[in-house]
Amino acid sequence: MRIGTFFYTIGQGFKNLFRNKGYTLASIATISACLFLFGMFFSVLTNFRHIVLRAEQGVSVTAFFHEEQGVTEEQILQLKVAIEEREEVASVEYITADEAWETFSEDYLGEYKDGFLENPLEGDDHLVIYLADVSQQSELVSYLENLDIVREVNRSETVADMLSGANRLIFYASIIIIAVLLVVSLFLISNTIASGITSHQDEITIMKYIGATDFYVRAPYVFEGLIIGVLGSVIPLALTHYVYERAIEIISGKFSMLSGLLDFLPVESVFYYLIPVSIGMGVGLGFIGSMLSVRKHLNV
Amino acid sequence: MARRKVYTPESDDVVISLRDVSKQYTKQAAAVTGANLEVREGEFVFVTGETGSGKSTLVKIIMHELKASSGEVNVLGYDLSRIGHGKIPRFRRNLGIVFQDFRLLKDRNVYENVAFAQRIIMVPSAQMKRNVLNMLDMVGMSDKYKRKVTQLSGGEQQRVALARALVNKPLILLADEPTGNLDADTAWEIMQLIDKVNRDYGTTVLVVTHDRSIVERMHKRVIEMKQGEIISDTPAKEEDIDEEEEIFEYQDVDADDLDNYDYDD
Repeated sequence: MRIGTFFYTIGQGFKNLFRNKGYTLASIATISACLFLFGMFFSVLTNFRHIVLRAEQGVSVTAFFHEEQGVTEEQILQLKVAIEEREEVASVEYITADEAWETFSEDYLGEYKDGFLENPLEGDDHLVIYLADVSQQSELVSYLENLDIVREVNRSETVADMLSGANRLIFYASIIIIAVLLVVSLFLISNTIASGITSHQDEITIMKYIGATDFYVRAPYVFEGLIIGVLGSVIPLALTHYVYERAIEIISGKFSMLSGLLDFLPVESVFYYLIPVSIGMGVGLGFIGSMLSVRKHLNV
Repeated sequence: MARRKVYTPESDDVVISLRDVSKQYTKQAAAVTGANLEVREGEFVFVTGETGSGKSTLVKIIMHELKASSGEVNVLGYDLSRIGHGKIPRFRRNLGIVFQDFRLLKDRNVYENVAFAQRIIMVPSAQMKRNVLNMLDMVGMSDKYKRKVTQLSGGEQQRVALARALVNKPLILLADEPTGNLDADTAWEIMQLIDKVNRDYGTTVLVVTHDRSIVERMHKRVIEMKQGEIISDTPAKEEDIDEEEEIFEYQDVDADDLDNYDYDD
């Protein structure tokens, strides 16, 4: 592109923005509305996912061993290393029978623990396995159950199933809602830009008669679309930022008793992804919308 | 000012050639049927006929706004039956086009309307300014270059449209009813300007008009159309012909003779 054409494109793009103020505002409002919805949805989903992930991290599988048949601590520690290498496993903790009794008696018996002369949990050395991926709990359990040295495996299947179900639901819901929002925005934006371009139809026709290339005709409109896309993404970002902070403030204030459960993500970590994604979507919508709108006017 | 040329016709080259060209909008309605036409470099040709005779369709085929349904269309060496979409801009840069309704950009002034054509072919700004003012001077509009086109009379608007069509120094000027919206005196002034362009720049001119009085006063070559067919081709009156030309009446020509005609002659 020649430097003159570059400046012409930018100049015309800006002129178009101001020449069709109504259409420009309508386009920006359309993208803003869609991206605001997307931003709110994204924030809620990210937080929900964060809460689910935190809950998942607490899900564990406990394995007990045939110590009465002579399984040694060394064997258990060897198995610990093997389990740690598995993909679905986040961490493994080895808890001896003594440690288990210590924790249990302190938590539940208090001073009455002195009444026990021997450790009732003798022979209950065990491994507590925390999962990185709750949905693979069954695979881990069947692996453990097939080991000769393992006596018993305890698991929390209902919680795991519920959490992995929730996670899957969030994933599919996100994809569907984002796809619907994108299609609706694209339809709205290309219609809005198309209405604006209809008022330029004479100009485009004359340009084509004079011998303008498709690129030359299209470039100012695409640039206009990009600017609309950027503005249409910055406005809802600012709005989402404000709403997010206020919402956390209100929810934390009103439901303070749930503060342990409702662990919201800080605004920065949500916006770390939301800013580039929103701007990318805004620019993409502006670009594709304007390309589609001009295309039908180029066959002169 | 040097002429910008993509295609350089030699003297007397055929610049527009139509062979058995037809255009059908629907199966029933044929706008042009079996048109054969040759226009040589530097010629001034009128295409006349009643409303609906197919004359505007013929011009639209020549500027490739419409594609012929059948036949061969060759303009300035471009085979328009086979031209790719990407080559159309390069082809069109050799044409200047004037319309009955002027088609000026109403939100811009006179200068900007003409400069618009130069911008498209990316003329450097200093040269563009010179070219635009020269052309406005030629059409008698240099003193009104800052005016909004909506403040101009019909004749003035057509002068600006003419300046826009000519500023890129086209090899062919196509004018579709350029005087259709003008009174008789203004129409005559515009035709004089077009004639001047033909004489001074050697630009090939093809004017579509239904105004018989102008055609008769100008003594140029006249192609007459009726119901989509070219029914006569009358050469320019003798006093205006530089070289001798044959009188060519289609009614007297055998189709075989047309097939054997050497178009590159």
